Amino acid sequence: MEFKHVGKSLLRTDAFEKATGRAVYVADIKLPGMLYAKILRSEYAHARILSIDTSEAEQMPGVRKVVTGQNCDILFGACIKDQPPLAVDKVRHAGEGVAAVIAVTERQAEEATKKIKVEYEPLPFVTDPLEAFKDGAPMVHERNHEYFRVPGFHPKEGTNIFHHYKQEKGNAEKGFEDSEVFVEEEFYYPLVSHVQMEPHGCIACWDSHDSVRIWASTQAPFIVREIVGHMFHIPFANIKVHAPYLGGGFGGKSDVSIEPMVAYIARFVPNHPVRLVLTRKEAFTSSLLGRGMRGKIKVGAKRNGKLVALKASLYYSDGAFGDTGCNVVTASGFVATGPYEYEHCDIDCYGLYTNTPPVGAYRGYGHPEAHLMSERVINILARKLDMPQAELMRKNFLSDGKTNAVGQVIRKGNGDINKCLDEVEKALFAEPKPQEDDNFFYGRGIAGFMKTPMMLPNASSGAIIKMCEDGTFNVNVSGIEMGQGCQTTLTQIAAEALKVPVEKIRISKEVDTQFSPYEWQTVGSITTMRIGNAILQAADRAIQKMKESVAMISDKPVEDLIYEGEWIRSKSNKNFTFETKSLALSYLSPDGHGVGEPIATTGHYYIPGVKFPAPVTGGGDCCGSWTFGCEGAEVKVSKKTGEVTVSHLAIAIDLGRLIHPMGARVQMVGGMMMGYGSALMEEVLFNDKGIIKNPNYNQYKLPRLSHLPEKLTVKFVETPDEAGPYGARCIAEHPAIAIPPAILNAIHDATKVDLFEIPVKPKALLSQSGGGHNGND
Amino acid sequence: MATIKVFLTVNGIKYELDLEEKETLLEVLRDRLHLTGTKNACAYGACGACTIVMNGEAVRSCLMKPEKFNGKEIITIEGISNGHDLHPIQEAFIKAGAIQCGFCTPGFIMSLYALFNNNLKATDEEIKNVLEKHICRCTGYEFIWDAAKLAQKMLQEKL
Repeated sequence: MEFKHVGKSLLRTDAFEKATGRAVYVADIKLPGMLYAKILRSEYAHARILSIDTSEAEQMPGVRKVVTGQNCDILFGACIKDQPPLAVDKVRHAGEGVAAVIAVTERQAEEATKKIKVEYEPLPFVTDPLEAFKDGAPMVHERNHEYFRVPGFHPKEGTNIFHHYKQEKGNAEKGFEDSEVFVEEEFYYPLVSHVQMEPHGCIACWDSHDSVRIWASTQAPFIVREIVGHMFHIPFANIKVHAPYLGGGFGGKSDVSIEPMVAYIARFVPNHPVRLVLTRKEAFTSSLLGRGMRGKIKVGAKRNGKLVALKASLYYSDGAFGDTGCNVVTASGFVATGPYEYEHCDIDCYGLYTNTPPVGAYRGYGHPEAHLMSERVINILARKLDMPQAELMRKNFLSDGKTNAVGQVIRKGNGDINKCLDEVEKALFAEPKPQEDDNFFYGRGIAGFMKTPMMLPNASSGAIIKMCEDGTFNVNVSGIEMGQGCQTTLTQIAAEALKVPVEKIRISKEVDTQFSPYEWQTVGSITTMRIGNAILQAADRAIQKMKESVAMISDKPVEDLIYEGEWIRSKSNKNFTFETKSLALSYLSPDGHGVGEPIATTGHYYIPGVKFPAPVTGGGDCCGSWTFGCEGAEVKVSKKTGEVTVSHLAIAIDLGRLIHPMGARVQMVGGMMMGYGSALMEEVLFNDKGIIKNPNYNQYKLPRLSHLPEKLTVKFVETPDEAGPYGARCIAEHPAIAIPPAILNAIHDATKVDLFEIPVKPKALLSQSGGGHNGND
Repeated sequence: MATIKVFLTVNGIKYELDLEEKETLLEVLRDRLHLTGTKNACAYGACGACTIVMNGEAVRSCLMKPEKFNGKEIITIEGISNGHDLHPIQEAFIKAGAIQCGFCTPGFIMSLYALFNNNLKATDEEIKNVLEKHICRCTGYEFIWDAAKLAQKMLQEKL
């Protein structure tokens, strides 16, 4: 297939606005009559609210309204309705909103929050998922089992378990009896923060009792619409959610975060837009966190390296509200095997209420947690079998014809993981490994990955194409541009489909739920695939319409016409040409009447055949798409400090079709560096009162330029996906998945120390590796 | 609350403002002058998103109180080009693919603007030291580094 636009690095369509500072984010928006909100937040991890006195705050200068949750009976959630907009009878995490002040200026609002008096009765709290799992653990939600929930979520009454996803394939017990070699280990992936550069922001304005406008830093304006609609029982059509540019999402702005609270408090000051923009501290303590998993895994294999059985239990600290993380729990179960075929699987994933900020989607959605275990275990098993890890991986890869844990047979069109491993090996082992010297141990590690987007079976994308009278096209979609570059790749897809230069395509830049086509949400790395397909359908329909108009105008039947972008030609008559732009508003004939319909079409797409997991086995066609790849790392470990330096990160991913080479590379490098951060730097820490100790950039360290490895390898394998536009499949979250296990495998290669927790603690690694000056200095 | 009278020049325009003592330059730029290209990502000088140029030096506008910026000449991201024809550093960021979500971009550009204005022959080490003070959560920095080097080359060729 020859492409004109696909496969080329078009300049990003959003770059000019962003380079000039003109791109508008929520915090840049000012509206007439706008008021500012500040939130009084709980300083207790878990406490009963005995009383709230707002009288003094109400008298402060500029204050228009003080709102508490005291008389609020609203609970919201997309799958489990377990969240109030402000704390009602008790607080469940430090940082939870207790009261909101709405004032003329942000400073006035902040000053007034200090005058609110809250009486608390502290309660025992729990932040660790295994502690929360135990009998007698502090109960975060006493009414756990009573909450409304959609089918497929299984709480356990009287416990902190709000969801238990069980998944079985074959008979694990029997599988272990048939196995000859075993590995059994426990792992820990701590809570981390997305730390999008743009803190969460939201503005809400009630225009009447059943009509609201919302501007939000969101990946999911239509989910915001749905949840706000349910909260207040108002017509969804009356809700206008605007999503301007998003300064990073990574899942932490998917579903809803602060929008329900802002909509709730704004209702008390109708006709005034109320704005809340989180501080950086609040972004840590009072939006969403990610990951937070303790896991146990056991695998059994034959001596020849054939994997037989896997038993895994993953316990998720999901914080104060389960709705945010419930699907992450399930998704991790889909991939607990890693990209390998086990005949027998027994997988339990538990979502647990804990007294931390709510935990939600974070780049990779359960997959990095699962792969930390699966890829470390493969590394350890290979050593037990005395077999190169790559050989063990190749023997068991979920390639064409193999059956994954949920029971789906992997097709060739899902991608070629063997080629990916070839590429990573080629890059990582191109040079001989440096020899251990006085200062450093050196090591290399590899890890595989697979990923599926988690979604509702009917999660759809829409596209609207409107032709302008000069032959240019407005392409209106609702994919949120949060840095991943969807505006640009979708422009390329539209130009390819409509056979016009990219300059003739104008993709929409802001999403508005009243004007834009429906989009479930921009998550799961599926935007290129799903919206791309919606664009293809809308383009096909536009082309068909143009041909029908020409057929009416000329004597040519539709089947005789060939669409070539700016021109329509005839198969039978080489001299016949018709300029398409004259059809845009319906054709104006020389004798003065209109012919045909204006060229404006819609297209839609959802992945057909996706179902909820089956009730008993947890399996079935619950995964709509698969992407496979491998990653690698080369490290050196200081013998004096235990510090780990990464000198090479590598990824090879089968992306089906490369649409935008530079955009794909920057996604891969950015994602690998996010994995690097998790492996070596990032962890949300709690003090003995359950309060986050490091909610700031100075103590929560993030990768900076100096952490970028000297060498980066990014390789793309292209096995077209039958379901993707021009063969493209999902790739955006993926590079963050397997870097932590690749780095830990490399650390073992260097030091012979097996690590099971991240981030790596240099001092502990130093003492275990026998480095330092005999540990005496 | 007591206010203080402050004179400052922003992107060539002179302003006389009555400010609260606590008001930071970042707030003045964004809230009073509506120059929202300068971003607020931490408000305590750790991330670099609010970087602007003050009397020729790159500074964190979130850390500047009125007594520090009174009488100063400020350049923001809005002031380095006419909005149609871009400054070479802006062009370099676009060409090198260094922009993703864009929230950190103005800060990076303004730091490099000050660096290259003061020393177009800055060494790689000096450029790295400047970029190290900024956080980008999207790109992993590879293309930001490329953009900085490309910008330096483009600026040198313009001489």
